[in-house]
Amino acid sequence: MLLRRETWRRFDFWLFGAVLILCIFGIVMIRSAIAGNAQLAESVTRQIIYVSIGLMVLLGTALIDYRIWASLTRLLYGLALLSLIGIYILGRALFGSARWFDTGIILIQPSELVKIIMILVLADYFARTAEAPKNLAWVLRSFILTAGVVVWILLQPNLSTSIVIMVIWFSLLWISGLPVHYLAIFGLLAAVGSVLAFPYLADYQKERIVSFLFPDPNARHGNVYNVEQALIAIGSGGLFGMGYGNGSQVQLRFLKVRHTDFIFSAMAEEFGFVGAMLVIALLVFVILRCLYIARHASDRFGALIAYGVATLLFFQTAVNIGVNLNVIPVTGLTLPFVSYGGSSLLSLVLAIGLVESVAVHRTTLDF
Amino acid sequence: MTVFYALIAFVIGFYVLRLFNLQILQGTNYRIRAEDNRTMEISLPTQRGLIYDRNGYILAKNVPSYNVVITPAELPADEGGIQEVYRQLSQLIGVPVNNGEINKETVRNFTPCATDLGIAQIVYIGDTNAPYRPIQIKCNIDQRTAMILRERAADLPGVGIEVESVREYPTGSLTSTVVGFLGPIPASEEADYRARGFLPNRDKVGFAGVEYSLNDLLIGQNGKRVVEVDAAGQILRDLEPPEQPVPGYSIKLTIDTRLQAAAEAALVNWMDRWNRYFGEQRYTSGVVIAMNPKTGEILAMVSYPSYENNRMARFIPAYYYEQLQRDPYRPLLNHAISAEHPPGSVFKLAAALGILNEGVVTPEQKINDPGKITVEERYFENDPNPRTRDYVCYTYRITGGGHGDLDFIHGLAQSCDVYFYKVGGGYRNEVPKGLNIWRLGEYARAIGYGRVLGIELPGEQDGLIPDPDWKRINVGENWSTGDTYIATIGQGYVLSTPLQVLVSMATIANDGKLMKPTIVREVLDSEGNVVQPFEPKMLWDITQDPVIHVYDENYLQTGEMKTVAPWVVKKVQEGLREVVVSGTASSIFEGFPIPSAGKTGTAEYCDNVAQAKNLCQPGNWPAHAWYVGYAPFDNPEIAVVAFVYNGDEGARLAAPVVRRVMEAYFKLKEVDIEGAGSTLP
Repeated sequence: MLLRRETWRRFDFWLFGAVLILCIFGIVMIRSAIAGNAQLAESVTRQIIYVSIGLMVLLGTALIDYRIWASLTRLLYGLALLSLIGIYILGRALFGSARWFDTGIILIQPSELVKIIMILVLADYFARTAEAPKNLAWVLRSFILTAGVVVWILLQPNLSTSIVIMVIWFSLLWISGLPVHYLAIFGLLAAVGSVLAFPYLADYQKERIVSFLFPDPNARHGNVYNVEQALIAIGSGGLFGMGYGNGSQVQLRFLKVRHTDFIFSAMAEEFGFVGAMLVIALLVFVILRCLYIARHASDRFGALIAYGVATLLFFQTAVNIGVNLNVIPVTGLTLPFVSYGGSSLLSLVLAIGLVESVAVHRTTLDF
Repeated sequence: MTVFYALIAFVIGFYVLRLFNLQILQGTNYRIRAEDNRTMEISLPTQRGLIYDRNGYILAKNVPSYNVVITPAELPADEGGIQEVYRQLSQLIGVPVNNGEINKETVRNFTPCATDLGIAQIVYIGDTNAPYRPIQIKCNIDQRTAMILRERAADLPGVGIEVESVREYPTGSLTSTVVGFLGPIPASEEADYRARGFLPNRDKVGFAGVEYSLNDLLIGQNGKRVVEVDAAGQILRDLEPPEQPVPGYSIKLTIDTRLQAAAEAALVNWMDRWNRYFGEQRYTSGVVIAMNPKTGEILAMVSYPSYENNRMARFIPAYYYEQLQRDPYRPLLNHAISAEHPPGSVFKLAAALGILNEGVVTPEQKINDPGKITVEERYFENDPNPRTRDYVCYTYRITGGGHGDLDFIHGLAQSCDVYFYKVGGGYRNEVPKGLNIWRLGEYARAIGYGRVLGIELPGEQDGLIPDPDWKRINVGENWSTGDTYIATIGQGYVLSTPLQVLVSMATIANDGKLMKPTIVREVLDSEGNVVQPFEPKMLWDITQDPVIHVYDENYLQTGEMKTVAPWVVKKVQEGLREVVVSGTASSIFEGFPIPSAGKTGTAEYCDNVAQAKNLCQPGNWPAHAWYVGYAPFDNPEIAVVAFVYNGDEGARLAAPVVRRVMEAYFKLKEVDIEGAGSTLP
């Protein structure tokens, strides 16, 4: 199968190339972002390993016909639930709360993988119900399907991943032909729901939202300080940046969590407006490429997978850069492919692998 | 699908605009803030100059004060190690390991050196703010503990000793009037001092004495380091070559501490003796100033009561300062230069010069003092309704008689009030035309009254020489003959500082040369080299420089100026010599081996203190005691003034003090000559 010429002819090298550049760029940026912090020193090597494993995962997934996953959705869904409940109970019992499985070598964050599983599960659901009437029962069934896993993620608590999955659900629901009058109802419900839910958020989540809306200008640490430092980092980058390894905000560690959540700011400082635009362009290119593949997929399931992945990538990109630019409150979402982190990277390249599989296993006629 | 594309375009477009705004439009702004983040200016404290007396005895020095500090980032890595350091440190300095709790309130109110929190809490606060900046755990520990801590530095990682410079005044309250004290940079001058590189919370400035008036010489220049720091506050490197601090200049004062001590003792002991005699605290404050009349150097300046400037060394204690401020005798005021009192008979020097120089009387002319004269008070020329009023000599109250016929020298020696009334304001046909208030003022100013003399101390007052214009403006009344009478003997509206009284006498002693009084002998650099040597400064010589306005018969200035004839000064000197030989101070100076000259003064007053004590009885007002004199008569070396507030009588309260200061001066001179000539190792 590896050697079949048509496989490689249909393989989207543009998409693969863009992702590869972003991953490499991420490694380069993480190297700079260590800035002499001994605790972060290993992260470059680790990220290189993650990227290497990730690329193999990507290629491997691309070769497997994505249609196989349609038949495995029940199993995958079960696995997702099991791992989430498992970590909830285990975490509760051992640490009070947890998001990770500590395997000793790396920390596995099941919720990252669950995002991809949910794309497959929902794509399968909406593909199979393509001909079904678009009534409330249809919407509710998909909602229950989603909520079934989101509840456990919310309980971790991990609001941002929960929102990501809900966004994917809504996006797929929308593309599958959600009637407009439901949209109005959902919009209203979401608005009321978020206001009502506010008191039930964890304290740190409330504080993030409050400090975004009403920042304390004198804060010396915490989110407001971090965002302020991020803005200084971005702004001081200017047109061409201060040069790789020369950003004072990054190198002198005024910028916090600069290798993960705020890597965009680090990049903007060292490579300037031009560099930041390039990375944004690459990310947008990846998203557009996914949408392109979605439009040219040979079946509805494949199209919905590519579309869901595009939603995931776009949402994470938009939220992460938005946090960096201080236009939305601080969340824990990473910048796709660039930010440090094994689980996040692996699940995203896995997603790209699925999209590539959709591209590769097109059944259009090629001569 | 279209919605999705639109959403992407919208969001990304918005981000691009935002990026453009942040990086291109506001880029410079943010770059400045980034620069601000990474650069830190460290002010390197300079050493304030020292203050010495004329013999090199230290009056103000800097001593180290030790603070225990902890640099949170340098504490051991493990919690157990940290606790061990805390425990050991706590045993040594007595600050509990844990005390108080950390919350928003305690963190906001936290002030290093003044906190009840335990070591762990203080370090927690320091660690959150800047882990690489040492934070004070306890301030001003004794030197022994500081040395112990330094020795054990290896066992106590993170613990350090910070040395702070604190002013110490070995002579304390004896010289505090002259030396002064330091305090924090006042809020009103903060911007100015900041611009000159001083830090309001660390650096101190003079608040009184020469510490204040010569602050700019003493203070020096702080050094500066511009360094790069990381987010934790760790210093990485110098961004600019460091500027080393420049120590302040040291000042050698003209004060002789030994004479200062003698002068203070003479004043205080004498007042105490009388207080014991009366069984009440009748005499509470006074001034003694000694000066070299030929150079203007102030050898001693006592303003009693004074204050303890060492109590202000570290900070100014509010209760002590308040106590000083509420003291009715005003210890914070330098009475020698800032208090204005009627000079009384010591002011007769001005009239004595004037009447001879203007030819009102000849030295030989006898004036009769019947003890009491009655004059018609005219408020203007040809006043049709003159009021008659009696003017008496001080003898009249006791003996009912006067001094009889007196010539100039004896009029001055006996301090005969009637003599001076008559020659000052004129009296019928005996003295048809007196000196008059305008011309009296000229001679008073010529010997230093009515103006600031420019001594290098804060708060010098100019006193008051009244004239008809002044009275019309300030009292709303015309000048009368009686006002001239009273002013001639230094009472009524006339006010002067003890320094002015001293300078007036020193001018006569110095044959009419008025030397600017000075407290500064030399300015030295930090290595002790003389930067500015002593140079006596003469303000004018009344026998050479025309400082007297000439008046016509209507007492209007003609525009001409004149000098004082040298023979007039000689005659006044003779009169002042006679004071000690046969006059008002003869009994006090009996047996004093060195010929001297002087003048007593008993100045009636009625101020708020006297009124509060109900002392202001008509015809029997309380009086201040004055004596001012110089010695040796032929070649003056020292002029001394003594002033005792509410001292009743100049001859009794003030003159003996002056005699003792003079005795001390000549004794010290003997000691110095012996010391200099001695061949002993």
